[in-house]
Amino acid sequence: MTGGYVTGGWSFVWAAYGWTALVLLSYGISLILRLRKSR
Amino acid sequence: MIAALRKELLLQWRTRAQAVAVFVFGATALLLFSFAIGPSAALRRYAGGFLWLGLLLSSTLTLSEAFHSEMENHALEGLLLLPVPAHVLYYGKALANTIQLVMLGIALVPVMVVLYDAGTTQLLTILLIIILGSAGISAPGTLYSAMTSQARAKQTLLPLLLFPLIVPVLLASVKATSLAILGDPMDEGRSWIFLLLAFNGIYWSLCGLLFDRVVED
Amino acid sequence: MITENHRFPRLPYLLIAAGVLCLSVGSYFGLFVAPPEHYMGEVQRIMYVHVPTAWNALLALTFGFICAVVSLFKDDLKWDARMEAAIEVGVLLGFLLCCQGAIWAKPTWGVWWDWDPRLTTTAVLVAAFAGVLALRHFVDDPVKRATWSAVAAIIASADVPIVYYSVRWWNSLHQMQSSPATVSSQFYLPLRANAFGILFLMTGFIMLRARIASRRIATELAPPPAEFLGEMA
Repeated sequence: MTGGYVTGGWSFVWAAYGWTALVLLSYGISLILRLRKSR
Repeated sequence: MIAALRKELLLQWRTRAQAVAVFVFGATALLLFSFAIGPSAALRRYAGGFLWLGLLLSSTLTLSEAFHSEMENHALEGLLLLPVPAHVLYYGKALANTIQLVMLGIALVPVMVVLYDAGTTQLLTILLIIILGSAGISAPGTLYSAMTSQARAKQTLLPLLLFPLIVPVLLASVKATSLAILGDPMDEGRSWIFLLLAFNGIYWSLCGLLFDRVVED
Repeated sequence: MITENHRFPRLPYLLIAAGVLCLSVGSYFGLFVAPPEHYMGEVQRIMYVHVPTAWNALLALTFGFICAVVSLFKDDLKWDARMEAAIEVGVLLGFLLCCQGAIWAKPTWGVWWDWDPRLTTTAVLVAAFAGVLALRHFVDDPVKRATWSAVAAIIASADVPIVYYSVRWWNSLHQMQSSPATVSSQFYLPLRANAFGILFLMTGFIMLRARIASRRIATELAPPPAEFLGEMA
């Protein structure tokens, strides 16, 4: 399926950006929590 | 080194009942694959894949037992006290494991031929692939077996560590075996055999080098 | 033995803040300002976050490999702590990469997974390095754990080019679809901003994670509490 116009991809774009943000945010929070616990 | 190999082969001969059990496991695995697919032409087409999956699964059984005798009575420390470099121990073990897997592979070929209608005249080629693929599995497998024998949850750790690593061996062996069974008009099998040779070259040297650090105290 | 000195204790937090800022700028431009691509439409925007994630995943795992090698040569366990941090962050980014790749592939090729050599290698890589992390979990002695996981990390790293070339060769025989198109040359801004964003974020994460690891290792290496010594003395 090369060439041609792929329509209506916005839901996938939001999914990709949203999932990325969610994973990075969750990991960051887990790090801060683990750091607090190890003190 | 010859002495190390002889010791390993002697140990294996003494526990040959275990080898029979592993063969039965492998043959059963091949049988289960055929049930999963059902009677179809796909069986012959993917026979190479099934053979190598079966061999790989069986290898976890043989490899996890590889350092079993060394773990008893602290035999490992005793062996390390000998005035030979540790990698001699590694190469002896790895060679013995390879031979074990090759024997298993050879034994499974007739099972494959019967169950999947995968007859072929290229038996020497298949033997070569079995030797190279088994060596590819044994090289990192023996190293990881040494590690996981001393760790907890060794049954789970060994396949977990080994399987991602030998993806190239699996790819190459399956491809080359399938070509040997189904026909290889463009002589692609040669490239896969080179890949197997390269993998073995890299890993037999790398793992031998690193083995010292794994068994040191 | 493990040394720990923080010259700039606040640095990781600054990096994370800078990373979030850059990612916000880059994502804004990528989502709302950049025009849709000619053939792939809006889906192309995923590349503005997918490519930076790829670069940084590779960077994290390469740094992990370097730490593994150094860890084998030096007695200081701080390199082991750094390696653990780098591999964990690398596995996280690699996993994210596979997810982004699948989300990109579905509208483009109609399937979630297209055996693209780069993504397939990433998946194998994630599995291999996750195995290294699992190994660390099951070994209690900190020194042995450091040596073994460094060895495992080196072996896994050595496999990367082999896996890549074998998957590429294996894939090409099936005439699979080509790999994701690179970003059009018109809009580098969202790409660069996101790249720096994830870079800062990743560096901050690795620094914090390394602190957690070195604290845990220090606890494991610490001598027993005074009460026990008092009984034996």
